Amino acid sequence: MSKAEQLSASFRDPSGFLFTRNGTLYRQINRAYSNDYARLMDSGLYGKLVKAGLLIPHVESDQLPAESDAAFKVIQPERVPFISYPYEWSFSQLKDAALTTLSIQKRALKLDMSLKDASAYNIQFMRGRATLIDTLSFEDYKEGQPWAAYKQFCQHFLAPLALMSYRDVRLSQLLRVYIDGVPLDLASALLPLKTKFNFGLLTHIHFHADAQKRYSDKAINPRERRMSMSKQALIGLIESLENTIQKLIWKPAGTEWGDYYENTNYTDSAFEHKKQLVNEWALEKKPALVWDLGGNTGVFSREAALSGAFTVSFDIDPAAVEQNYRTVKSKKEQNVLPLVLDLTNPSPSLGWNNNERDSFAGRGPVDMALALAVIHHLAISNNVPLPQLAEFFASRCKWLVIEFVPKSDSQVQKLLSSREDIFPGYSREGFESAFSSRFLIRKAESVRDSERTLYLMETQ
Amino acid sequence: MHFAPQLYLDPGSGSILIQIAIAVLLGLGVALRASWSSIKKLFGVKPKPEEEEDNDDSENVQS
Repeated sequence: MSKAEQLSASFRDPSGFLFTRNGTLYRQINRAYSNDYARLMDSGLYGKLVKAGLLIPHVESDQLPAESDAAFKVIQPERVPFISYPYEWSFSQLKDAALTTLSIQKRALKLDMSLKDASAYNIQFMRGRATLIDTLSFEDYKEGQPWAAYKQFCQHFLAPLALMSYRDVRLSQLLRVYIDGVPLDLASALLPLKTKFNFGLLTHIHFHADAQKRYSDKAINPRERRMSMSKQALIGLIESLENTIQKLIWKPAGTEWGDYYENTNYTDSAFEHKKQLVNEWALEKKPALVWDLGGNTGVFSREAALSGAFTVSFDIDPAAVEQNYRTVKSKKEQNVLPLVLDLTNPSPSLGWNNNERDSFAGRGPVDMALALAVIHHLAISNNVPLPQLAEFFASRCKWLVIEFVPKSDSQVQKLLSSREDIFPGYSREGFESAFSSRFLIRKAESVRDSERTLYLMETQ
Repeated sequence: MHFAPQLYLDPGSGSILIQIAIAVLLGLGVALRASWSSIKKLFGVKPKPEEEEDNDDSENVQS
């Protein structure tokens, strides 16, 4: 029997934990959680949620538990194709994750169960939809009980969504700093005055923050206060959160590249040729997982995804990622995942012991990476020398599809127009020589009607 | 008020009190609406047809 390794993100909940054995992911359920698990399965809640695409499906496994003393059962959940984090999601992705959580809570309450936590990290995108991946999040609901996860829900979902909608979409990055969600006093201070005229935001954020401050060091004595919360009242609270979140909107406009493809310098035939090459090379190499680095709205990600690969489409621009996600939803695409990522400062390892949330690099390497129309941004705007770029890409993937954009290209000229050209080595020859130290260049095709070249390279 | 004894998240005192207060407010709203419709009924205003029941299977939160 090979060794079981517990996942570093899964340690807080005494109900159980995730572990891998021989590359397969399992979840150990502890005896402390056996009643709640039986309730989840027997009440029909599990079946309903899985059918609605809201909860990750699993099978019970006969694998030995990783820690047998506490163990009750081992289950094998369906594998999530790529783990992403809330600070990498666009506005609508976070909004859908919030609505999934509330929808689950409503359905659970109907069957007298309740979510014991409401962490955004428990949601992942599977088949294009926000899905709860923590099977152990349910507990028995007893009438009168308030929602223990209310605070967490407001911090993980409502506060960042309100800030993104009312202030600036880039405030999603606060989630990178605050691992347990945006503190409500901070959200309350940053939100504009007009949010105090919105009943949901006034109560769930502003009043909530005040109450937290007032009672921060007081334990409440329930008997003294004679307060309890009927089930109807709890459902009212969930519906109020739902209404508040439904009304939060963000329209991608005025950001860097929202209309990038309408503003490019290439002709339709160059664009089509590039699509065709990406599609051909993906079909030839049959990658299981592709990262499109600088994927914009995902046009080329979709060409790779046509080969059957699960394709993660990263871009720095929240507007492009939002548009990409809306396409995924409207076309019901199952194997494209758009995410916000700054390649010059990618997601680090975060949380307890720097080990709870995996870095961008830690979630690779992948079978194939696409780097289309991105090299000039990294080499010229961000001053990364070509050998370092080669090193970067070689550590991320086995196959690299990369586009070289020469200095004569008008997009590069634009980057150079406001600064001194300190890049004598930035040429096709310099590029090929730098990348040859880490890659074998398998193919090089001139993109039709353009000065650009598309390469297929294999890591040495 | 009875809390589950084995909570693994700290629900926060303020967060508990505020959600109960909000729930009471929301409950008041529902009660007011209900009594308003019965007042209207007294004066012969017909109530609107019942809103559709929240249907589990057709509900699609991510539409």
